[in-house]
Amino acid sequence: MNLTEDNILFLYEMADVIIAGLTTGSVYALMAVGMTLVYGVTKAFNFAYGDFFNMGGYFAWILIVGLGVQFGGYLTILAIVMPIMFVVGYGLEKLMVAPLRKRADWENKVMMLTLGLALFLTSLYSVVFGVRLKSLPPIVDGMVEVGQLAFTYQDIMIFVMSLGGILLFGWLLNNTRIGMAVQAVAQNPEGAKIVGIPQARIFAATFAISTVMVGFGGILLSQKWFINPMSGSTIMIKAWVVTAFGGMGSIRGGLYAAFIIGMLEAFVGWMFGMSYSIIALFILLLATLALRPQGLMGKGK
Amino acid sequence: MLSVTNLNTYYGESHVLRDVSVSVNKGEVVVMMGPNGHGKSTLLKSICGLVDDKKGAIIYKNQDINGLATEKIVNLGLTYIAENRELFPYMTVLENLKLGAYSKNARVHEKENLEKVFDLFPRLVDRQKQLASTMSGGEARMLAVARGLMSNADFLCIDEPSLGLQPSLRHEIFSTIKQINEQGKTVLLVEQNIPKIAELADRIYVMEEGQISFEGNKEEALSNERLKEIFLGM
Repeated sequence: MNLTEDNILFLYEMADVIIAGLTTGSVYALMAVGMTLVYGVTKAFNFAYGDFFNMGGYFAWILIVGLGVQFGGYLTILAIVMPIMFVVGYGLEKLMVAPLRKRADWENKVMMLTLGLALFLTSLYSVVFGVRLKSLPPIVDGMVEVGQLAFTYQDIMIFVMSLGGILLFGWLLNNTRIGMAVQAVAQNPEGAKIVGIPQARIFAATFAISTVMVGFGGILLSQKWFINPMSGSTIMIKAWVVTAFGGMGSIRGGLYAAFIIGMLEAFVGWMFGMSYSIIALFILLLATLALRPQGLMGKGK
Repeated sequence: MLSVTNLNTYYGESHVLRDVSVSVNKGEVVVMMGPNGHGKSTLLKSICGLVDDKKGAIIYKNQDINGLATEKIVNLGLTYIAENRELFPYMTVLENLKLGAYSKNARVHEKENLEKVFDLFPRLVDRQKQLASTMSGGEARMLAVARGLMSNADFLCIDEPSLGLQPSLRHEIFSTIKQINEQGKTVLLVEQNIPKIAELADRIYVMEEGQISFEGNKEEALSNERLKEIFLGM
């Protein structure tokens, strides 16, 4: 087959789109896993989830741009920001969510609480950091060329790190005592209580881990995108669409959904422009709700 | 070993247990009988910290455990084995058993308790890798008891272990409970199966409408006319 110059150009563009889809898809996967985890274990829905994405980005920005931390690059940044995110998530659950849990109709109260928190954080970011967009430097500069294709190291790193994060999480979930306890609470809260698993602590730890995951995603993607004080709700919507499309409570479904949606966004962005991608997401969400409400891998009722 | 005094338990507006007092001595098998829905399970759950709204004293090993979180109570050696089993459905038999040894005091004894449990329930050995949700009713019941034993408890609150089981399995579960008791565990058992209780029980309580209506050893229970009428239709 003879390829014309146009054909070759088209193939390169396709390769770019696929790489973009894989990169954002991998971060979406990370976020969807965090969201599925919280919902599956604590049965609480965290509307402020997207704003913790920004929080991760802003903390990294303070360190890199604000304080000029250079030593150790992103390893230092992660070593500082991830524990902070853990404490924030843990504290939020202990101080704000846990007290509501004892009341009637607590699920709705938690929803209202986290919705309020989302608005608060969005405003807080605007006041503290201003509404102008911030950006983070790439983890590593440069690119690798394969034939005439060019991959930036940044994309590769984002892909590898978010996938690494998911694999590490999966390993911890299946191979540590606390990981098994988390699964036990998700599968049977009463049974978990009976065997002596401290449920309150597991709830808080789960919230904390999900906050770490979305914050990690925030640090990774903020290098490609900008940090925008308002973007929490968009991130939240995306994380939610991925979770709903994958099937509420199914981690595996969330992973597949994340890559499908990452690809969808990249293709729609390439064909019609990035601003159409969110419309495509809503169409996908509506179609999911109409045709397969339990999602790709959800168990249904 | 355990003494419950004037326990009152509430589910929202309904007053389930009314001034219940029960005591269990070390090494005994005490059976709690009575019609369904009259508070027997609630008593066991209250003792094990699985019900929040309760007043009264629950003294276990010289310590008032009323108000303690379940994980603390389990760590003191008191374990609840649920009537509806409460297993972890998407985990294997072995994983369920290992989670049974979650509390601090049980962790150090995990290996030896696993061996003991496999001795008691040889059938579980071959099924270690099977998911709990795929087990038959009888096997799941055995797994629930086995998981309870993994907690290294010396006091077991067992809630209707024979419920829904065929006679041969019932027999098996009762002889296992007898064995467990002979190994030194104290048992508070909720049960309806009268002939079996006669073999097992050191003492019997009857609960009706949230109150203790009879208390005595098994000879007294078996010769009590009113009890015969209620439970045997004689």
